[in-house]
Amino acid sequence: MSTTRTRESRQLSLKAVLIILAVVSLAPYLFMLVTSLKTNQQFADSFWQISLPLHFENYATAWNQIAPYLVNTVIVATLSIVLILAIASVSGFVLARYRFAGKHFIYGAVLVLMMVPSLAKLIPLFILMKDLGLLNTYVVLVIPYTAGGLVLGTILIRNFVEGIPQSLFDAARIDGASGARMYRSLMLPLSLPVLGTIALLIISEVWNDYFWPLLAISNNDLRTVSVGLQFFQGQNFTDYGPLMAGYLLASLPLVVLFTFLSKYFLAGVQGGLPGAH
Amino acid sequence: MVMLDQTSAVTLAATEAEESARPPRRRVVRWWIYLALLPLAAIVGLFSYYPALSAIFWSFFHWNPASQSIPVGLGNYATMAGDQIWWTSFRNLGYIFVFSVVSWAIPLLAAELLISLRSARWQFVMRTLLIIPMAFPAVVTALVWGFFYSPNDGVINQTLKALGLQALAQNWTGQGSTALLSLLFVGFPFIAGLPFLIFYSSLQNIPTEVLEAAQLDGVGRFARFWQIDLPLMASQVRILVFLVIVGTLQYGLVAQVLTAGGPNNATMVPILRMIDVAFQGGDWGYSAALSTTLFFITLAFGAVVVLVRKADDGTADGGAM
Repeated sequence: MSTTRTRESRQLSLKAVLIILAVVSLAPYLFMLVTSLKTNQQFADSFWQISLPLHFENYATAWNQIAPYLVNTVIVATLSIVLILAIASVSGFVLARYRFAGKHFIYGAVLVLMMVPSLAKLIPLFILMKDLGLLNTYVVLVIPYTAGGLVLGTILIRNFVEGIPQSLFDAARIDGASGARMYRSLMLPLSLPVLGTIALLIISEVWNDYFWPLLAISNNDLRTVSVGLQFFQGQNFTDYGPLMAGYLLASLPLVVLFTFLSKYFLAGVQGGLPGAH
Repeated sequence: MVMLDQTSAVTLAATEAEESARPPRRRVVRWWIYLALLPLAAIVGLFSYYPALSAIFWSFFHWNPASQSIPVGLGNYATMAGDQIWWTSFRNLGYIFVFSVVSWAIPLLAAELLISLRSARWQFVMRTLLIIPMAFPAVVTALVWGFFYSPNDGVINQTLKALGLQALAQNWTGQGSTALLSLLFVGFPFIAGLPFLIFYSSLQNIPTEVLEAAQLDGVGRFARFWQIDLPLMASQVRILVFLVIVGTLQYGLVAQVLTAGGPNNATMVPILRMIDVAFQGGDWGYSAALSTTLFFITLAFGAVVVLVRKADDGTADGGAM
């Protein structure tokens, strides 16, 4: 009897410590939420507490400035995802299911790129884009994200397709399915979870990437969220309510995706870590 | 993201065995296979291989992208050897790395506490709450912390004032003595991240038989941590160390947003130095040399991760015991 009681009280203290850790972790974001509903006067009076009335109009003010950045980010992310999924699914399928000369060489050349940090090609890529006259366009953003995402996408899709039993493909071939037909009717439907994971990773990459858009885009109308927010901060740094409202609005899409699809996110973040599922 | 090839190597070997078992087929060059791979090869070749290789090439030049470039041999690398700011930036990376490894104590503690919860629902809810900060864009986190640190209206200084401790108020990111430390504390308590996920999932993967056996032997919770959890986590932690080294080499966003490498280079990191040299100094060849150096250092550590993975593979399934 007494052992169950000590066990229960131990569970309670575990929960208490974990809740404290969670509150501390989330404190900056809670602070952001509370402040986003205040005027400067309310903020000066009490900066941690919620104070009434709540000023929801801060969100309208922030939205007008933030919305273009969000739209740009969504456009760039969508274009990149479409390109990546189209190309990587074909390449991954071919690399997983066909034998041909140079197969291992091609796959190896893609694998090696997993170890090349994107920041290492920042300077030469900038010059290349400048020579191509692409600075300050959507294309200058889409291309590097596509190139980077293709590496990860091809590897993930190839590994996944290799895991599909060969007997399925054999059966399809006996029924007279062509390669294109097997790709469309067999491999694509089965690969949807992987394709979803890749799409999520690309969204998160485009949303978070900072240095490349900072260098390649100087036209404020084309900025994506990360760099746009810093510009936004420069313009609103004395108006705390709208400033924090803007930060929250810019985070919201990612937070919502993450909350509902965290399984896929985590699968992507942890990559193929052995035993980490 | 270097973590994938070990699994792929295994599957690759498996399919090869499978393929050789089948009767040999007539060799026909199926040109459409290469056509299908052409978009991949073109994009990756032009926008990944070409820039990375051209950085190596141009690092031997006084690179003038707009006009004539002059070959300088190893001149840029000689400049690098004498570049005090460059070496300062690596010293800072050293601090950042050591700090992040020491700070694993908190995610490790959180993972141990979490795994000890009996209710699966509580575990799920607490895990979700603890990792939500990962969902926020890194820039937002940096900007909010910048707001905390700001010298006048900053939350930290205001809180100190409210507690009657205004003597402790500082210009946190604006003075050399506290700037780097301030950057390091961004994201405190550091739970939301890869280390926590790895600790938690390796704890989840400890076979229940091992834990039951330990319980029968009367092993307490703390003894379990030292004698079971830590040894079984060892190989994961080894990989984590190298992943963090590779990640640290790319550290730059928080520094750029909060201090831009200042004051007086107190928070300079290699990425920022590389960008400064090119975009402020206009010395593209030297910047390419810095980029190339960084690239090879990263590649070396990345290769170590792959090798460690390969070596671990043979001793998986609790071989560390």
